[in-house]
Amino acid sequence: MLNNRLFPLLFVGLLLLAGCEGDDGTTGQQGPAGPTGPAGPTGPTGDQGDPAKAVTRADVLRTNANIAYAAYGDSLLTALSLRTSLRALVADPTEENLAAAKSAWLASREPYGQTEVYRFRGGPIDALLEDGSLGEDGDGPEGAINAWPLGEGLIDYVANSVDGDAGPEIASSVAGIAGSIIADSNSFPNVNGSVIRDNFELGGDERNVSSGYHAIEFLLWGQDLNADGSGGGRRDASPGQRPVSDYSTRLGACTSGINPAPDDICVRRGQYLLAAADLLIDDLSRVVDAWNPNGTDNHYANFVAGGDQSLALILEGMGRMGFGELAGERMNIALLTNSQEDEHSCFSDNTHRDILLNAKGVENAFKGEYTRLDRDVLEGAGIDDLLSSEAMPELANEMRAALEDTLIKVGVIDQVAKAGEPFDNQIQRGINEPNVSAAIRALSAQTEVLERVIAGLGVTTGNLRQDTEEDI
Amino acid sequence: MPPALQPSLAFVASEHAQPQAASSEEVRKAALRSLLACARPAFGAAHGVRTTSVTGAGQIVAAAFLRCALAAWAGLLLGGCGGGGGGSPPPPPPSPPPVSPEPPSPPPIVVPETTAAERFPGGEATTSLSNEEAFGQSPEAIQQDFSADANFKSGNQIFRNSHDGEGPLLNARTCQGCHTKDGRGAVPPNQETPMDSMVVRLGLGIDGDEATIPDPNYGRQLQTFGLASFIGDDISAGLSAFGEGAGEAIGEGFALVEYETIEGAYADGAPFELRHPVVKVRELSYGDFAEGIQFSARVAPQLIGLGLLEAVPEADIRSLADPDDADGDGISGRANSVFDPTEDALRLGRFGPKAGTASLLQQTVNAYRNDMGVTNRFVPEEACAERQFSCQQVALQEENPHPGNVDIGDVELALVEFYLRLLAVPERRGFDEAADVWEEDVQRGRTLFFETGCGACHQYRHVTGTAAGSVLGAVELNTLFPDAPDIAVLSEQTIFPYTDLLLHDMGGACEPVQREAADGGFCAANDNCVWALRCTGLADGKPEGLASASEWRTAPLWGLGLVKIVNERATFLHDGRARTISEAILWHGGEAQRSRDAFVAMNATDRSALIAFLESL
Repeated sequence: MLNNRLFPLLFVGLLLLAGCEGDDGTTGQQGPAGPTGPAGPTGPTGDQGDPAKAVTRADVLRTNANIAYAAYGDSLLTALSLRTSLRALVADPTEENLAAAKSAWLASREPYGQTEVYRFRGGPIDALLEDGSLGEDGDGPEGAINAWPLGEGLIDYVANSVDGDAGPEIASSVAGIAGSIIADSNSFPNVNGSVIRDNFELGGDERNVSSGYHAIEFLLWGQDLNADGSGGGRRDASPGQRPVSDYSTRLGACTSGINPAPDDICVRRGQYLLAAADLLIDDLSRVVDAWNPNGTDNHYANFVAGGDQSLALILEGMGRMGFGELAGERMNIALLTNSQEDEHSCFSDNTHRDILLNAKGVENAFKGEYTRLDRDVLEGAGIDDLLSSEAMPELANEMRAALEDTLIKVGVIDQVAKAGEPFDNQIQRGINEPNVSAAIRALSAQTEVLERVIAGLGVTTGNLRQDTEEDI
Repeated sequence: MPPALQPSLAFVASEHAQPQAASSEEVRKAALRSLLACARPAFGAAHGVRTTSVTGAGQIVAAAFLRCALAAWAGLLLGGCGGGGGGSPPPPPPSPPPVSPEPPSPPPIVVPETTAAERFPGGEATTSLSNEEAFGQSPEAIQQDFSADANFKSGNQIFRNSHDGEGPLLNARTCQGCHTKDGRGAVPPNQETPMDSMVVRLGLGIDGDEATIPDPNYGRQLQTFGLASFIGDDISAGLSAFGEGAGEAIGEGFALVEYETIEGAYADGAPFELRHPVVKVRELSYGDFAEGIQFSARVAPQLIGLGLLEAVPEADIRSLADPDDADGDGISGRANSVFDPTEDALRLGRFGPKAGTASLLQQTVNAYRNDMGVTNRFVPEEACAERQFSCQQVALQEENPHPGNVDIGDVELALVEFYLRLLAVPERRGFDEAADVWEEDVQRGRTLFFETGCGACHQYRHVTGTAAGSVLGAVELNTLFPDAPDIAVLSEQTIFPYTDLLLHDMGGACEPVQREAADGGFCAANDNCVWALRCTGLADGKPEGLASASEWRTAPLWGLGLVKIVNERATFLHDGRARTISEAILWHGGEAQRSRDAFVAMNATDRSALIAFLESL
């Protein structure tokens, strides 16, 4: 368990000052953080300050790596709590236990959403191999942990008609399976972790997502049908409505939604749920290990020693997560195609949290801050401090303002959803839906500032051709 | 002598006997007649054993047919490039090679010097990945440009999504449904599984504008599914059923491929087996095909490097054309010419196995409409054939949410086009970084590749020109702006695709598609018949634009070694008949016959070196 004591007191002192007293950065007389701030006259880079105390690039790397450990660590802790709740549900399938399991799932998404800024930078989540070393993009557990959208028909029963795709991309990829994994007891006499792993991306089909958060989400909520059980037409505000009798242990009481089902199906569904939770925990544990600050030959160690290359990876992850993934793929395409399938957590209608937490993750990386589950605030050297110590305090403040604007705008989506209009309803009005568009625009503006930050810091990620003599 | 070696001998023999008396066109016709003559009895005798012909009698019959037929098409080659059209209107007669007393001596084969740049076949649009995600990557420069990265990722998402208004008839619900992880599709694993990443193109020959004449009942492509196949979890719901298409929009027919085994051996005695396909369609929902129907079965190709190929200057490709084989190297090379609605102009054909489309955007909008029933600005009519009234009725009820009453808008098209243009080419494997040299067998294989003449069609190197931005405009999130800027990472790149993008006669010929009973016997009209296409060699009997029934565009070879990493079920050649790269080489005929024969003549070490080289691409 990390806490503030692991950090040099210097950073804590610096950051408390830097984080809170900013003005707009353009009119501040003594730097955005006041006279003793990083750019102030008595700050480390000021006339009267001590440059040796300024935040360095290596400091930023270490904080970024520490936050990775903490955020993945929190993800693991909440996944463990989730498993406890799931076990309670399967052992005693009551409405209360189903509600508790759903709450545990929602809680598990809070830290994980903030880790996604560690994607798109060749890190453990994308590239970790079984042996703990880093392979290529795509070798890592990201897909097994968080892939979506799902062809959920691979896992369990689906409604006849839904808004979106319940099936795979490649029709024949599931040809060998009678109904679903849970239904097909001939092909799969036992439902366990290896069955789930073996069927992940079955037939090379990326929609055959058998594991991870969203498989568990589907098994808790069921498809996001309307309250009247219909799958198409105008969407209502209800999430999925899987009845607790889908896990019934009473003889003859098992259901598959509105239909009665053999007792065996409820048993298998419970086995699937628990095995999926085990896999999630295994996968998250491996990522946590890769970021363990005490490791000597793990990613943490390599990353903090990586110099400007690592700094560039942080910035690249912030840019690609914030814009391409969040603004583009997760919001703009959902808006453009009015597609419920493009809603990240579609079964639970929790997409507003995914969006906010993804954006928060980018801000965390910039500020070098992360609030742990226990509300312990982990603070260290952020990109903002680095910009200030490298004499670009205005840019630091501009980026802060841009991130703040984004957080406000995604906060509106979050607020509107919590007040009863989930994200899949918010996109339904068409491509001019103002709240979602405003958030996309804010992310776009934020990205433009980030590009200037990257230019200002003068870093770039390694280019494939850098070490090659072009001789034609 | 193993049967598969026979045709090469015939080819060599006939090469020495230059025709003097008969005109080349007469020789071509005579050869076609003799081909068809030998085909009929051979297949007649095969009745009853064909479906079980992976072993036993069918194999022998197939081999006998092949011996006879291949000898015949060796004659055909003398008559020029075009193969027979299988009873359909013949393709425009290709120009015969010059019969001069002193044919020019073929240019010497040069093995180009290896350069370090070859490690990065896509130039700056190369990806370092070599795992199952290797075909789905953007170049580094795009990843670092957050706006371009967003367009790429958004395009990917659309590529994976289904669309409002798709169908009523379709082959797949999403792009990626066929192009598995941006790689190749696959032949169905058995004859009960419908084709879901492979299609059968249809036609009744070529009209005066070189456009394919559609079948009045089925159009230009057999759509296997109706939309109902993808609703719920019962894919058979929308499948074809004989005579049922009058009432609802269900799949047009059930297409399948049967394989007959051809046995052969390399010169050193090592045996090989090839799968010789017979393409069949049964359970036609909307009545019989028209007389003279033509089939072309095609597996979805991998999609890497297409934006680079699009940026190779047209003049460079045309400069490689040699329609009359003026240099006497036995390789012609013809440019296809197609009307591109996205540019409203007649242009060089580049994409598709017969170079039937000029631009990536044209290829994309055709695929949307023909494969998925997703209409768009350039192809606004639903994929319902002239007489498919039920399809037309269902189409009328569709929601067509975009301007012009079409299913997909220009912003989405532009995003998908951008995505496809920017799919990077994987870095070569087989380079020993520590020693800074290519692995020995890869290097040896490269030499063999060029020495055996493969490089004549599989032109290894090109330099791209300026890659202009999309004609649709530049996308920024959900808005299109006019005058899209050029794409730097695709422009002025030295690339190594191993294709000349030209059409070459690859040999073979086809019988007319035959209407028959399930057991191969007689079947009366409108009687739930089976329709079967039987060919020799690589020919499919279906011309496309200027491409004849036996002409194919040289396939790019980059990424070849990763095809099965990306999709383990994937196989090779246009219809997926070749299970391995070796089999793909062995299927080469026509202009490539000599190179293929050279491969057969190699010893095992050389063969494996050649394959090691191809696997490293």
